Amino acid sequence: MSLPAFVLLGMFFIWPLIRTVTMSLHDWPLLGVPEFIGFDNYVKAFRDNQFLGAGAFTIFYTVVITPILLILSFALAFLVRRGTRAHRFFQTIYFLPVVIGLASGSYIWLFMWQSDIGPTTLLLGDLGLLDPRTNYFADFWSAFAIVVTMVTWKVVGLQMLLVLAGIQGIPEDVTEAARIDGANAWQSFWHITVPLLRPTLALVLVFSVDGSLLAFDQFYIMTTGGPAGSTITAVFQIYRTGFVQFDVGYASALSLILMLALGLVSLGQMLLLRNSDNS
Amino acid sequence: MTTTLPATTATLLPDAAEVPRRQPVLPRIAWWAISICLAVLFLYPIGVMLSQVGPDDIAQIFDSSKGLSVVQSAGNSAFVSLVATGVAVLVSTLAGYAFAKLPYRGSRIAFFVTLVTFMVPFQAIITPLYLVLRDIGLQNNLLGVALVIATFNLPLGIFLMRNSFAAIPASLEEAAQIDGASAFSAMWRVMLPVAVPGLVSTALLSFFAAWNEFFAALILITDQSLYTLPVSIGILSADANFQLDFGLMQTGVAVTVIPCVIVYLVLQRYYVAGLLGGALK
Amino acid sequence: MRRHTTSLIALTTVAALGLGLAGCSSDSGGGGDSSTVKLWVRDSQSRFMQQLADAFNESHDTQVEVTLVPAADYVQKFGTAAAGGDAPDVASIDLVYVPYFASVGALTDISDQWNDLPYKDDMSPGHVAQGEYDGGVYSVPFTADVSAMFYNKDLFAAAGLDPETPPATMAEVQAAAEAISATGDGNYGFAFSGACGGCNIFTITPYVWASGGNVLSDDGTEAQLDSPDVTAAMQMYRDMWDAGAMPELVQSDSGSNAGDAFKQGKVGIFNWGTFYIGSLEDEADGAKFDWGLAPIPGAEAGEIGSFAGGDNLTIPAGAENPEGAWEFLEWATGDEAQGVIADNGVMPTRIDLLETLYISKDPRFQVFADALEVGKVPYSVIENELFNDPNGVWSTMIQEAVFGSGSVDDALAKAQEAAQALLDESNE
Repeated sequence: MSLPAFVLLGMFFIWPLIRTVTMSLHDWPLLGVPEFIGFDNYVKAFRDNQFLGAGAFTIFYTVVITPILLILSFALAFLVRRGTRAHRFFQTIYFLPVVIGLASGSYIWLFMWQSDIGPTTLLLGDLGLLDPRTNYFADFWSAFAIVVTMVTWKVVGLQMLLVLAGIQGIPEDVTEAARIDGANAWQSFWHITVPLLRPTLALVLVFSVDGSLLAFDQFYIMTTGGPAGSTITAVFQIYRTGFVQFDVGYASALSLILMLALGLVSLGQMLLLRNSDNS
Repeated sequence: MTTTLPATTATLLPDAAEVPRRQPVLPRIAWWAISICLAVLFLYPIGVMLSQVGPDDIAQIFDSSKGLSVVQSAGNSAFVSLVATGVAVLVSTLAGYAFAKLPYRGSRIAFFVTLVTFMVPFQAIITPLYLVLRDIGLQNNLLGVALVIATFNLPLGIFLMRNSFAAIPASLEEAAQIDGASAFSAMWRVMLPVAVPGLVSTALLSFFAAWNEFFAALILITDQSLYTLPVSIGILSADANFQLDFGLMQTGVAVTVIPCVIVYLVLQRYYVAGLLGGALK
Repeated sequence: MRRHTTSLIALTTVAALGLGLAGCSSDSGGGGDSSTVKLWVRDSQSRFMQQLADAFNESHDTQVEVTLVPAADYVQKFGTAAAGGDAPDVASIDLVYVPYFASVGALTDISDQWNDLPYKDDMSPGHVAQGEYDGGVYSVPFTADVSAMFYNKDLFAAAGLDPETPPATMAEVQAAAEAISATGDGNYGFAFSGACGGCNIFTITPYVWASGGNVLSDDGTEAQLDSPDVTAAMQMYRDMWDAGAMPELVQSDSGSNAGDAFKQGKVGIFNWGTFYIGSLEDEADGAKFDWGLAPIPGAEAGEIGSFAGGDNLTIPAGAENPEGAWEFLEWATGDEAQGVIADNGVMPTRIDLLETLYISKDPRFQVFADALEVGKVPYSVIENELFNDPNGVWSTMIQEAVFGSGSVDDALAKAQEAAQALLDESNE
C-alpha cells in the first residue's frame, strides 16, 4: 500500500537526488561541459567562508526562533485550549496566517516596515515609539527582528494547533486528579500537561527546526541577504551558487551537506519522539 | 482517547468544554483582553494588505492586454492544487495506513526515508528535477508540477495519516476483519471514515502549499499560458518601470491570499479537528 | 459520518477528474510547429511585447508566441531551460548576460545573417559589443535603456541653484546635492539604490566612464576596481553620505525606493534610466514638480557617460525554428518594429532612426540619444556574479565604501582582489 508513495518519491525525489549526487562529484556548470572531479567540491565547502558563514547564520536563526515559537505556541495553546465558542474563535484567528504563503507574508511585512511609507513604521512613529525615517532593513538586528516576527506570526498558529492536539491526547483523569489535589489551571498545565506533551514537543521541534534550517524565502524577499550579506542562509547561499554563479556541481555538494546535517538533527529528534512513545 | 471515538475526533475538544469550571488563572476580563489584543496583532498584517487594494490596481492585474491572463492562471493554479491535493491525499492515506497498521521489516526506516523528503532544500534539487521531468515528458506540463508538489507534501501527509490511523484502537479494525474483510476493504469501510478529519487536514495543507508554490511552478513551466497564479501575479504586479509599486504588489498578494483564506474559513471546522485528530498519539 | 464519507468521495472524484483533465492540458504545451516561434522576454518589456508580436503576426506566416518571464528570475529560468535543451526559439536577454550565455554555447552564432544586415553599423555600439564573443556574433540589439541624470528643478531653485543649469561635473553634482540637503525640510540632495548591484552598475559606472576610466578591462579579463576613476566616484558617494545628503533608505534599497523618493519630490538628483520617464509622467501618481534631464557628467566639464542597457535578441542553441527566429530578429530591428517600440515610450537601438522615431516625440529624449552613442557595458562572462548579485563583489564594495566604517581605499582594494580572483578562475 505504500507503493504509490514510493513510486512518487522514487521518481521525483530519489531519482533527482541521485542526479544531485552525480553532479556534486563534477565540476558541473549550469551550461557547458561537466568534468569529474571526485570529492573536490566537498573539500572546497569546508574551506568556503561564505558557505560556513551562511551555515553559522542559519544555526543562529534557528537557535533564536525555535524557543520563541515553542514558548509562544504553548502560551497560545494554553490561552485558547478549550472547546468553547470563544476559544475556537480565537484559535481560528491565530491560525489564519498559516494559510498565507511564506512569500506573500514576506511581501506584506516588507511593506509594513518600509521607512517613510510603511503603515507600521508610520503608526509607531505617530505613537512616538520609533523614528519612521529610519531604515529598519539597513541594520542587522532590526532587519533580523522583523523577519523573526514575521515568521512567528506566520507559523505559530500551526504549532499552537499541534500543541492543542497533544493536550487533547492527555487523559482527562490525570488533570482531574491534579485539580482535586488543589492545583489551579496553570499549575496543572505546567506540572502535569507539559511533561506529558513530550511527543508533541518533539513534533513541534521537528517542524520548526527543519523549517528554520531551510529558511530562504523570507530572507530572499525581505533582506535580500543584507545588510552587507549578513542574513544569507545556507539555502540562500546554495541558490546563489547554483543560479548566480551557475556552479551547479558545487551547489549540489552544498545541498547534500545540508541534507546530511538536517538528517542528523532530525534523527536525534525522532529518537526523542520514539522514546517518549514508549514512556 | 475516550470510547466515543468517532465523535470526539470530529469535534474539537468536546470533553474540555463539559468539564466543570476550574479555578481560572486569568480573570475572565483579562483573558478577553489578552485574546483580543493578540487577535488584533494577528489580523493587523492582513488588514494592512487589504488597505492597499485599490480599483486601479485590481484593473491592472486583471488587464490581459499583455497576453497574460490572471483568470487563466487561476484556472491553472486550481488544476495544479486540486490534482496535487488529490494525489497527496490518496497516496498518503495508503502509505499512512501501511505504516500505522501493517508494519513490515524495515518499515521504520522506510518511514524515516520518507520524512527525509522534508529536509531537502527545494531550490537545490530543482535542476535535476527539471531534467527528470524532461526525461519522462512531464516538463512544461501542469500534471508534472502537480505531481512534484504532491511528492514534496507527502512527508507531512503520511505523517498525519499514520498518526490518524495509529490513534484508532485495534479493536475496531479487528471487528471489521472478523466480518471477513480484507485489509484493504477493512481500511476502506471502517478506518477511513474515522480518519476523514486527518484526511481533510492533509488535503488542506497540500492545497495551500500547492496554491502558494512559486519556484517550482516558475522553473518547470515554460509557456505563459500554463503559468500558475503566483507566477503571473509576480509578473503583473511588477511595475514595467523597474519601480516597486507597493499598492500593486499588495493587491497581487491579496489576489493570491484571499482564495486561501476563504477555503480555510469555510473548512476550518474540519481542518482544526483534523489536525487535532491527526497529530494525536 | 455520512457527510465525511461524501466529502471523501467528492475529493476522490475531483482528483480523478483532475488526472483526466491533465491529458488535455499537456497538449497545449507542445508547440514544435515549424510556423511558430517561441519568444521569451522579461516582464519589464511587457507593455509593448504583445503589441509587437501582434504586429509581426499580422504580416507574417510565422507566428510569434510570447512568454513573459519575471525579470528577477529570467537568468535562472533561461539557464535551466537551456541546460535541459528546452530553450525557446528567441530569447530577449538583458544584454549584460549575453557574453556569458555565448561563452557556454547556449546561443547560436548568427554572424552570417548579422553581416548581411544593411544597418548593422547604425546600431547602438554598446549593444553590438555585448553580442560579440570569440569572433562570433550572438545577438542583435533590440531595446535600449540608458542611464541619465534626473534632477528636481524646484529643489534646485529652493537651494539657490539655477534650475536650467544642471551640474556638468562630478564636483558640481556633489556641491548641488549638499546645497539641497542644507535647505532641510526633509529634502535630500542625492539618492541611489545602495543594495542593488545591477542598479549601480547602471548609475555609478557612467561617472567612471565619463572620466575616461573603467571597472573592467575592455576584454573583460582584468578588474580595475581600485583605479583612480572608480575611487573618485566612490569617494563622491561617501562624502555625500557622510554629509547627510542622502536619505537613509538608500543603504538597503534594493532598487525600488530611491526612485519613489525622487518621484515624491524629496530628492534633488537621481540617476536612472529611460524607462523612468514613464513613471514620472504617470497621470495618477507621477511627479508633481518640475524636473529636468541631463547627461551623467565626468570629472571634467564636457565629459558624459552612460550605461547602454536594454535587451538583445538571441537565438538559443537548439532552437526548434531558427529560420523563423531569424525572420523575427530581422523584423524586430527594422523600421516598423523599432517604431512600435518607440511608440510605447521605449528607446529603439537603431541610432539612425532615433531622430525620426524617438526624439521627434519629445526634445528631452536628445539626452538619451547622446547617451546611447557613448553608452558602454562592462564586458564579462561573469557579469551576474561580479555585478548583479546583491551580495556580490560590486555590491559589497559599495556597501563598504559608502556606508562602511573603513576607508574607501580599503574597500576598493579588497573588492579588486576578490574580483580579480573570480576573473582569473573564470578565464582558466
